[in-house]
Amino acid sequence: MSNRLDEWDRQVPAAVLARQQQLNSRRRFLAACAALPLLAAVPAGAAEKQSAWQAREPWRTLAAVQEHLFPATGEAPGASQIHALQYLKNVIDLHGIEESEKAFIQNGVQWLNGIARDLYSAGFIELATAEKEKTLRKVALSRAGENWIATLLAYIIEALLTSPAYGGNPNGVGWKWLGHQPGFPQPPANKVYYRL
Amino acid sequence: MSKVYDVCIVGSGAGGGPVALTLAEAGYSVLVLEKGPWFREEDFYKDELACCRRSVYTPKLQDEQHVIEDTGRDGWEATPTAESGWDFWNGNCVGGASNFMSGFFYRLKPEDFHLHASFGEIEGANVADWPIRYADLEPYYTKAETEVGISGRVVGHPLAEPRSTPDFPYPPTREHPIAERIDQACADLKFHSLPTPRAILPHTDKGRRGCEYSGYCGSYGCSSGAKGSSRAALLNRAVASGRCEIRPHAKVYHLGSDQDGRVTAAHYFDQDDNRQTVSAKLFVVACHAIETSRLLLLSKGPRHPDGLGNQHGQVGKNLVFSAGSTGSGDFVYSKLDKKEAALMKTRGPFVNRGLQDWYFIENSRLGPRVKGGTIDFLLRHPNVLSRANAQKWDADDKLVWGKALQDNIKSALGSVQTLRFEVFCDWLPNDDCFVSLDPKVKDKWGTPVARVRIGYHEHDLKVAEFLTGKAEQVLQQMGAENIRSSVSGSPPANLVAGGCRFGHDPKTSVLNADCQVHSADNLYVTDGSFMPTGGSVPFTWTIYANAFRVADKIMQRLSERA
Repeated sequence: MSNRLDEWDRQVPAAVLARQQQLNSRRRFLAACAALPLLAAVPAGAAEKQSAWQAREPWRTLAAVQEHLFPATGEAPGASQIHALQYLKNVIDLHGIEESEKAFIQNGVQWLNGIARDLYSAGFIELATAEKEKTLRKVALSRAGENWIATLLAYIIEALLTSPAYGGNPNGVGWKWLGHQPGFPQPPANKVYYRL
Repeated sequence: MSKVYDVCIVGSGAGGGPVALTLAEAGYSVLVLEKGPWFREEDFYKDELACCRRSVYTPKLQDEQHVIEDTGRDGWEATPTAESGWDFWNGNCVGGASNFMSGFFYRLKPEDFHLHASFGEIEGANVADWPIRYADLEPYYTKAETEVGISGRVVGHPLAEPRSTPDFPYPPTREHPIAERIDQACADLKFHSLPTPRAILPHTDKGRRGCEYSGYCGSYGCSSGAKGSSRAALLNRAVASGRCEIRPHAKVYHLGSDQDGRVTAAHYFDQDDNRQTVSAKLFVVACHAIETSRLLLLSKGPRHPDGLGNQHGQVGKNLVFSAGSTGSGDFVYSKLDKKEAALMKTRGPFVNRGLQDWYFIENSRLGPRVKGGTIDFLLRHPNVLSRANAQKWDADDKLVWGKALQDNIKSALGSVQTLRFEVFCDWLPNDDCFVSLDPKVKDKWGTPVARVRIGYHEHDLKVAEFLTGKAEQVLQQMGAENIRSSVSGSPPANLVAGGCRFGHDPKTSVLNADCQVHSADNLYVTDGSFMPTGGSVPFTWTIYANAFRVADKIMQRLSERA
């Protein structure tokens, strides 16, 4: 494992580790890592045009990672169809998750691009599909990298399956793909959990 | 001078609601202090994030947590739940955990009230008889049927407990087609399939709508009001009487007491974290077993140097959970004919089936007659996020993504109906299951959190294994595939009682038979803390019934004073 991965490993926030433990009881991680320093700025306010923030980092790379992790196939809706990036942005801006987790998600992009440059001398979004796969597999070899990808996957799956009021799953596209019958009533926009 | 209420109740769940309603309707002034917010029906949606993936109805563990002592390599090891993610909260809002229950309601059986007398000593266990008998509680089980709204159907059963009315006041909720298949399998096996009573209204009554059969019930707040939560069934009516005030966002951290040992005030933090104080003639604590013990231990006073009612070191002791197991079997749609598959896919109606044939077991493997338990059948919860999330790990614990992940999710979510079972049996009270105050970890207000040691008795596992075998027989008879089960001594965090057991002897109990603290005569405890043994069923009906019983005792006392 490279030094870069070792360094990353020391920076998994406790909130992320606790969430992973809740999500998958098979996996027991030690929650002994120091919190990351916060990123200086989380881009984009609600009023900002969607295209502007999406064109900036870390969102461009996050979108590329999401699309690789959850691609559009003939059958399954891909990350962009389930509005996974918008959903993730809503999670960071509105869901009240720990600051350390927000930073972990966004800082992971820098680490990912560092590893991509080590391997291919290019940033992640410039890589071919097979190179992206190899880069992410390498990332997943470290505990932090594995947790970072697991965290992104968790929010992609939320974008796929939670109520459209949260910004993902437009028109229930994820539910329709799976033939899933959601419960009723579903929350309107003013009754999402962080507005209760 | 500030108002002195007749009664101040700490906690608004199944232990608090009956007292509030009974006393308010009788004309007494009642104040309910609830730590959490006050949600109404219009705040509850079938929102899996709100229900189950975020801390909406329970505190953030970083703010308020427990410390759990479990066995490790070096003996008892204490882990704060903010680190482990093991959440022991069950619903901190008006109505408490009863908002989110499934409402499987069973009465205890007469023998549950004297297990020690009936079954004798079990080495390593602290089994104690109750100071009351089934006949004392029966009228209140019946009262809860009407007041909470319990639906069901009485059938002849070899172990049916005595009833003072011929049947339930509400007919059963609608049933899933799988219930008939369970009945048939049980008949083939000569087992006695039993309709499970539910705290769910099948039709509109008392200002509450009937069940709307969304299929998302347990863990969710009820948007129709059909579920018999303390809030929907009791507190709304208590407030309507004009004599009950509910104060949400009121976190009680100390009960003050005087030189005579009597409680004089409840001290709490309000929504802005300001300290507030209220006075009352009588106080009732009902904030869930673990937190009730914690509050009493925190409430030291001149006559209670070790905490309220703790002269003999009994507060927090003999905490019990529900022992047992869980298991399931699959019905693969592609292997069923179309009509059967369509029936199996039905979403909404309830399974409502249980087995109590082995509530008492006579089997050579287990020795002489022993206490057994209850098996309850239910469909796999329709929640999808946790199931879909689990698909991102392969059998070697490596991450899966891309098409492989999508295929896993599709297969896991759309191809089978899963019938689950839960086994409920007694968690033998023992010296290694108790609540204390953590010496280091504090909540966000600076108050020590509860430390919970969760030791279990090996006997519980033997009983659970026996019952699990019976449940699996039913699944086999039904033709289920992939039958699997898990018997464990790990406690279910949503099924907890004890810690302030009631009894006649102040040296071995915290409360007397009326659930009044032996050494503080204007203080009562009405949640599940009072139970010396938990029975082999979910506790909630018994908590409701006992709280109605104690409410009558309190009312009698108040009327004598007047």
